[in-house]
Amino acid sequence: MSFLKFIIKNPFRRKNSAIMSIIGIAIGIIVIVALGGITDGLINTFEDTIHAGGADFSIAGKETGNSAFGTNTIDSSWTDKIKTVPGVDEAYPIYVVLTSIGDDYMKTLIGVNSNGTGLADISVKEGRIFKDNANEVIIGNIYAEDNDYKIGDTIKIDGENFEVVGISETGDQSMASGVFTSLSKVQDLMDNEDSISNIYVKVKKGEDAKKVADRIDKKYGDDIQTITSVMEMGQMAKMLNMLQASTWAISLLAIIIGGLGIINTMLMSVFERTREIGVLKAVGWSNTKILTMIIGESLVITIVSAIIGSIIGYYACVILAPYMKITPLFTPKIFIQAFVIAIIVGIIGGLYPAIKAVKLPPTEALRYE
Amino acid sequence: MNEVIIMNAVEIKDLYKSYEKGKIKALNGINLTIKEGEFVSIIGPSGSGKSTLLNMLGALDIPDSGKINVAGKDLKSDKKLNKFRSEQIGFIFQLHNLIPNITVRENIEIPMYTQKLSSSKMKERALKLLEDVGLYDKADILPSKLSGGERQRVAIARALANNPSIILADEPTGSLDSKTSNKILKLLIDLHKDKKVTLIIVTHDMNVAKLANRFIEVLDGEIINPNSDKSLINNQINI
Repeated sequence: MSFLKFIIKNPFRRKNSAIMSIIGIAIGIIVIVALGGITDGLINTFEDTIHAGGADFSIAGKETGNSAFGTNTIDSSWTDKIKTVPGVDEAYPIYVVLTSIGDDYMKTLIGVNSNGTGLADISVKEGRIFKDNANEVIIGNIYAEDNDYKIGDTIKIDGENFEVVGISETGDQSMASGVFTSLSKVQDLMDNEDSISNIYVKVKKGEDAKKVADRIDKKYGDDIQTITSVMEMGQMAKMLNMLQASTWAISLLAIIIGGLGIINTMLMSVFERTREIGVLKAVGWSNTKILTMIIGESLVITIVSAIIGSIIGYYACVILAPYMKITPLFTPKIFIQAFVIAIIVGIIGGLYPAIKAVKLPPTEALRYE
Repeated sequence: MNEVIIMNAVEIKDLYKSYEKGKIKALNGINLTIKEGEFVSIIGPSGSGKSTLLNMLGALDIPDSGKINVAGKDLKSDKKLNKFRSEQIGFIFQLHNLIPNITVRENIEIPMYTQKLSSSKMKERALKLLEDVGLYDKADILPSKLSGGERQRVAIARALANNPSIILADEPTGSLDSKTSNKILKLLIDLHKDKKVTLIIVTHDMNVAKLANRFIEVLDGEIINPNSDKSLINNQINI
């Protein structure tokens, strides 16, 4: 039997106590994983909005700075001007308007060129892309599910009938609830032929989006503005910071509770095994080996908790997300964070009991009854 | 003709040990020599200092003053006492002190973790020791499935795990019935002869003490008859 196998076996000697400790720490890990997934999902959604779908940032008219989808317009000729700014790879015009759609008196209609849909983060899950200037729409999957729309159905937009030709799927909440048609059709509906509301900009590979946006602000800042700078300085950034801070605060609480639990379990374990520790000293085990054993046992409990907590946290979030209307995002970072926390709790939780065990004089330990 | 030189396994000179700031004098000037391969019993009433003496011999405790040399090591100056215990000493306690959640064989492997041995080598050595104590077929069961005598036999095998030069047994039959006790003592004596290890038993039972080549009687932290032989013990028992 290897030393590692011995360490793995030991915590389960007192099954009930080990299970209670695992549950305690696993709850902390569930909170960390689930909140991490939700927070990252929200950050991702917000960043999608800031970055205008597949674009790095968007441009709007000067007066529309307080909204990502302002209704004020700029001339479509700005698209060509933006394309000439160094560092810009692609620039696509988009027209976002609030109008009556189906039963909604005011809903967002997004007009985009059919070749610019990728930049607007629209990927067609079912059906096809709309034709230019046709009464055809693509609708977001959440909007389709909420209103029970299928391909081939008709939606009344601003008094005209439009056919649903495609359903899009995206990780962006606002896009998944959106209705899309061609840019020319929106311009036609608004009777505003050369107008657009925003320009989506993608920078060249290796270029810093912020620097390119600054370049545009510097050159054309009197007439237009980049949404990136507005958003970064706005409430959204503060909200994201608050979300992340509260996630960390809850995680810290979970760590403290879990840590106290593991200290208690390991202290009980050392207390009950006093004679055994005396025997281990008598047969020649070094203090380092005894320290390694106790901390190792503590780590076994916290790592098992991390595995169980990560699985439950992930599935709980995935199952509950649709009801909470959120799209969680699970990156390896969340799970690495959960495991690192579990390992830290394991080491800290095992350290004090291990030091207690090491300090036990062997003669006293052997006499213990 | 070649002369066989027998070295001393234990050399103790003026050994003192007290507890509670000198209020309790556990060892009060002990002088003792035990030769390699000898079987010695240490007898004395409770509180006489015999277990303290055994702890000193096993490097579990350090003396206040005096010299103590065991298996060629000066235990007062040696800093790596755990290494010394692992390589030179095999302990047998009154209670078997086996770890309950691992098998009989795995219990015997516990002292081997201090050596750089592969798992297969540890297993091989543990099985050989189990064969020596007559429990080869019980290798893969938990200690709770064994009788008291069998558990103590496992403890003996564990004490021999690292091929020690000295076995220290503290009341090894104290918790066993007389029939089992005799079997355990016979096993210990056989192993002492086969493996040529020095065997030192602490006991307050004259019937156990008389099995040794020599017995040392301890009273109030002092040795009162360091060179008694079996005939003397028998005489004492007869009295």
